[in-house]
Amino acid sequence: MTRLLSRSWPFAGVASLLLLWWALITFLQVRPFIAPSPVAVMKALWVNHALLLSNLVPTAIEAIAGFFLGNALAVTLATIFIHNSTLRRMYFPVAVIFNTIPIIALSPILILIFGMSIFSKIIISAIICLFPTLVNMIRGFESVSVSELELMRVLSASRREVFFKLRLPRSMPFLFAALRIACTTSVIGAIVSEWIGTDHGIGVLIIQATFDYRTELLYAAIISSSLLALSMFATVALLEHFFIKWRTS
Amino acid sequence: MTRAPGPVIDIAGVGVTFERDGDGIVAFRDVSLRADAGRFVVLIGPSGCGKSTLLRAIADLLTCTQGTLRIFGNEPSAARTARRISFVFQDSTLLPWRSVIENVRLPLEVGQWKRLGRASRAPEALLELVGLASRAGALPHELSGGQRQRVSIARALVTQPDILLMDEPFGALDEITRDRLNDELLRIWRETRTTVVFVTHSLAEAAFLGQSVVVMGSNPGRIVKVIDLDSRKPGNRIDRSTAEFFAITSELRAVLEGNGDPAMSLP
Repeated sequence: MTRLLSRSWPFAGVASLLLLWWALITFLQVRPFIAPSPVAVMKALWVNHALLLSNLVPTAIEAIAGFFLGNALAVTLATIFIHNSTLRRMYFPVAVIFNTIPIIALSPILILIFGMSIFSKIIISAIICLFPTLVNMIRGFESVSVSELELMRVLSASRREVFFKLRLPRSMPFLFAALRIACTTSVIGAIVSEWIGTDHGIGVLIIQATFDYRTELLYAAIISSSLLALSMFATVALLEHFFIKWRTS
Repeated sequence: MTRAPGPVIDIAGVGVTFERDGDGIVAFRDVSLRADAGRFVVLIGPSGCGKSTLLRAIADLLTCTQGTLRIFGNEPSAARTARRISFVFQDSTLLPWRSVIENVRLPLEVGQWKRLGRASRAPEALLELVGLASRAGALPHELSGGQRQRVSIARALVTQPDILLMDEPFGALDEITRDRLNDELLRIWRETRTTVVFVTHSLAEAAFLGQSVVVMGSNPGRIVKVIDLDSRKPGNRIDRSTAEFFAITSELRAVLEGNGDPAMSLP
């Protein structure tokens, strides 16, 4: 019972803010095309659910594919970097510099290279995931203690065994921390890439709804994209709960 | 197993110097020591005397910069890659994602153990030996510090090592737990007859465990005196409440203090 009560606090928080939103719109008599009331947004969600869903699917494909590609690449790069300090010294700064380029500036370049295809969007989504996971995984792989490394040496473990038996499992909490970040950023990447050029997707819907002053649809589209990121986040959290039962004492 | 006659560990004029900012820092020097098969040797001394460093040199975790160190008449690396050495660290170094039994099994999964074709001990039987058979499926964070250290001893024994190196394994435990684990360690040692080199800074621990106690001093690290206790502890057994035990700890303290180490901790 107390557990149920404590789980319901976040919902109470959301409900209170929705109420505040509704009250502000109603009492300040804000016009619907400036900001719609939560009731109007709920209605728009229901009325346009087919439209929203058909636009959510391509965005979800781009975001999830980008999520897998970006994180896989990041883990691979981190693995290479911890095994080869020369490559790390050569290319890690490049990754840092690359990360300073605003993703929105990068999208036109990628669209020029890959065209309006889904690939350019997946790649943008992947790039935005890559850096946090890369940094986290390098830290994770290096979070082994001196005595753990000494233990592996006394056991005459090969570098491969040290990686798979020690570094990789050690890095799992770091990986999941990075994946939680990547859940939201991969959706951002997908939506931003859709702004530059395509004809369907939540990003397109957001732009169109804004230009058409269909503000309640704009809000509904935003909520749909947030639900996408949220469900990815929940999946990652569930997997983490399932796979990481250990704690460092 | 074919074993060359002579001492298991033969250390002659060994020293270790670390390079730091272009300066050579002497961990210890001119250390000579021999240990025959099955002997229980304790290294005791103040911090900075190089006792842990010496243990690491025997384990091939670092290389001596002076003298010769032979294990079974060969380089330490030969004994390490042949998996004849086990090491117990001050912190238990259990892998937290592996259950107790999986931690004990770890040495059999790496370092080409299977290719060596040697007999191992059953992990289950070892957990029985250290009194943790019922916790085989537990994760390390569910155990107490003393229990974790028992698991790490079981892990060290799984490869049936000829040499067991222990670096202050009970240093972080309370005295009651430490005494009990010392009793258990001697029981295990009697059963396995492995050669043990045990590092401690506790006089009582040294007096209780060692057949030979090697007293080391610092600045620079060196051996001050080697005290053989065979005649005073027949069968390496002694009661902690006897006058003889008190006499041994007093003698050890006198040697340490006579060496001008007021910082040495009391038993």
